[in-house]
Amino acid sequence: MADKEPGDVASAPASNNPLSRKLSKILETRLDNDKDMLEALKALSSFFVENNLRSRRNLRSDIEKRSLAINEDFLTAFQVVKEQLDDVYSDVQAMNECCLDMTNRLKAAKAKTHHLISQTTSLHNESQKLQVKEQVAQAFLDKFQLKPDEIKSLRGTRDGALQPDFFKALSRVKQIHSDCKFLLRTNHQTAGLEIMESMALHQESAYERLYRWAQNQCRLVTQDTPDVSPLLCQAMEALQDRPVLLKYSLDEFGKARRSSVVRGFIDALTRGGPGGTPRPIELHSHDPLRYVGDMLAWLHQASASEKEYLQSLLKSCTAANVQLDEQLGHITQGVCTPFKVRVEQVLVSEQDPVTLYRLDNLLKFYHHTIGQIVNTEAALLSTVAEIQDLSHRMFFNSLTSHANKLLDKVELPPSDLGPTDSLTQSLQLLRDVLACHDASVVPIDDKKQDYKQILSCVIDPLLQMCSMSASRLTTVDMAAYMVNCIHLMNSTLALYEFTDTRLEMLNAQTEAHVDTLVSEQASYILNRVGLAQMYGALQTYKTEQGPLSSLPGLDELAVKSAVNKFDSYLAQPDSLTLPQFHLILSSSVRESATKRSTELICQAYKQVYIAVLDPTHGYKDGPAVVPRTPEQVVHLLC
Amino acid sequence: MAAGPYNYSYIFKYIIIGDMGVGKSCLLHQFTEKKFMADCPHTIGVEFGTRIIEVASQKIKLQIWDTAGQERFRAVTRSYYRGAAGALMVYDITRRSTYNHLSSWLTDARNLTNPNTVIFLIGNKCDLDAQRDVTYEEAKQFAEENGLMFLECSAKTGENVEDAFLDTAKKIYQNIQDGSLDLNAAESGVQHKPATPRITMNAGVQPPNKEGCAC
Ligand SMILES: Nc1nc2c(ncn2[C@@H]2O[C@H](COP(=O)(O)OP(=O)(O)OP(=O)(O)O)[C@@H](O)[C@H]2O)c(=O)[nH]1
Ligand SMILES: [Mg+2]
Repeated sequence: MADKEPGDVASAPASNNPLSRKLSKILETRLDNDKDMLEALKALSSFFVENNLRSRRNLRSDIEKRSLAINEDFLTAFQVVKEQLDDVYSDVQAMNECCLDMTNRLKAAKAKTHHLISQTTSLHNESQKLQVKEQVAQAFLDKFQLKPDEIKSLRGTRDGALQPDFFKALSRVKQIHSDCKFLLRTNHQTAGLEIMESMALHQESAYERLYRWAQNQCRLVTQDTPDVSPLLCQAMEALQDRPVLLKYSLDEFGKARRSSVVRGFIDALTRGGPGGTPRPIELHSHDPLRYVGDMLAWLHQASASEKEYLQSLLKSCTAANVQLDEQLGHITQGVCTPFKVRVEQVLVSEQDPVTLYRLDNLLKFYHHTIGQIVNTEAALLSTVAEIQDLSHRMFFNSLTSHANKLLDKVELPPSDLGPTDSLTQSLQLLRDVLACHDASVVPIDDKKQDYKQILSCVIDPLLQMCSMSASRLTTVDMAAYMVNCIHLMNSTLALYEFTDTRLEMLNAQTEAHVDTLVSEQASYILNRVGLAQMYGALQTYKTEQGPLSSLPGLDELAVKSAVNKFDSYLAQPDSLTLPQFHLILSSSVRESATKRSTELICQAYKQVYIAVLDPTHGYKDGPAVVPRTPEQVVHLLC
Repeated sequence: MAAGPYNYSYIFKYIIIGDMGVGKSCLLHQFTEKKFMADCPHTIGVEFGTRIIEVASQKIKLQIWDTAGQERFRAVTRSYYRGAAGALMVYDITRRSTYNHLSSWLTDARNLTNPNTVIFLIGNKCDLDAQRDVTYEEAKQFAEENGLMFLECSAKTGENVEDAFLDTAKKIYQNIQDGSLDLNAAESGVQHKPATPRITMNAGVQPPNKEGCAC
């Protein structure tokens, strides 16, 4: 610390002497920059109050005294600090000892627990393994065992009701049962077998229960429209695995439906609709067609509906068609007897062939129609077929008996040689019968077959009857009468199909009778004009007999008179027409018969003419005997 | 349909009647198959088709009997009126004669069905407007006079065909709802199960085929 000397110092020029140097140094000193100096001076000013000699002399000791006091203060202050530090030290010392102690203890404990820890770790590992095993086992159980609620829904409630869960559980049982095969293939065969067995037991009891339930449900479907619940459909689907049980359940369904159909049928027959509209079918029993038709239509509709119910019941069953048809056959079987009894009654009491034939066609139609719904084995179809067969026979019986009556009591032909009443009536009947066919819907082959049979049933006896009644007539009457009768049959048949062969036969018969008429007419004319002898002789003439004119009755005079008579016939050809010709009903037959007999006459005249002009026959004045040439005769007659 | 083809609540039986060639079979075909059959042979006797519809969110199965219009089949077809819940009576708007015969068809329908049977008059072939022989107004009036429902339809274009069948079903359903068609009034008149009405074929409507489990 530099000395501080207040007051001015006289300046001295000499700088080389130490004093000047000191002085200049002091002068150069920049007090305001020296902080220490400033502090020191500040401190100094705090106690150096009186600048006097004494104080200046004592300054040093004062300062030292002060410094001493300050140091003493320091000492006492540090004394405290030191004591406190000593305390801290002893504390830390103690702590250290504690720590050491603890470390030792820990070390000891660690040494002691080491075994425990390793044990724990191994146990822990084991527990993890066990957990995995548990999961596997759980998964196994999930896959191969039923859950309690599944078992519950399989067992069901005591009243035998079935919950929709049942089917889920059942399919689980099935699944597990089939999954056991995997177990058997691996080395879990014991488990596999055991589970399989228990599942089999579950399955059996479940199917048993399902079957009992389904059977009960099926018994209940006796309403007019059965209540086929989705659950029942599901039951049927499930029972497919037990075909026998399915069949028994279906049998039960069939039984219930069958009785319902019978009841519905009887109701429709006897009670009719609500409030009596529509009226009961039996109310129309006096009208056989309506009565039988209504019954058949009812059966047709019922069969269609029953088929739908069955289809809806078996909708989820694959390949149940056989069963469906079988059951449908069974369901519709019940009505067969009530239906059959009624229709048979109608058939046996019905006499009218037309009605019988209509019924026959109706039954044929329904046999076809119902046959599209039920299969060929169904009793209903065979019943309809049987009844149709009966109606067919009844129809032909009645036709035959009608024909027999005709033959029993043959009428005499009327004087106009027209048809008898029984012929016209029979033909009307035939027309009515054949007309039924237009209103029917039977296949064309059947129709052809029927026509053939009907025609032979009616036409043959009619022809017989006509022949019998004609038998007592003269040849000409007979021929004319037959021609008339056959003509009537002919024109009746011509209106219908499948009558061609019959028509041909009838035409041939007409032809034969027309031939008779023609030859009768011609010989009548020849007889009446007296040319018959000449004509007859010409037919049998042989040259050994000599000239014709030499034969008795054929001399020139006789021939000439006959030709004269012929000539007067030529002037009035109608005068010699047989009266029966006028009675021929068919104008075309009449005309052709007239024409053919005229031709026959012309031919006969030509033969006479040639013979007379032939010199060998000895007619001297031939041209005078036969003045007219055959051509002139043809011209006059035709 | 998620519910499958068999889950329906009712079966309604319909018949379709009218002169030959008016398009009865085509209407049925259009309704069941949504197609027009241009060369449809004459119906022999009766044919039948079904379709499931929905009325008031109830599934209803329509069982439709299509009859032959030819006179010679009348004896057969008359037997099918029994028990119909709905009768569709069809004429051809291009042939007046088929319209003129309506009263005889209507007489048959009234005599042979039950009093609640809904009769719906259909003027078919309305696509052939150029050949029209029967006006809409006179047919409408005829329908009103006789209490029939009425629409002109075309089996060819399908116009109004759905409506005719559906409106009939709605009307039948409504009759059931308001009790004028008593499902329980079977031929026997006996009520069997109140829960499941016993309905006869003669009522033309068959009973709820309940969905869900009845047990
Ligand atoms: N343009 C037109 N033609 C139609 C319509 N409906 C039916 N046809 C025609 O009319 C003809 C007769 O139709 P069908 O349905 O067979 O008549 P139907 O009433 O069943 O006759 P039947 O079975 O004999 O009673 C057919 O040739 C159809 O093509 C229609 O809406 N428009
Ligand atoms: Mg048709």
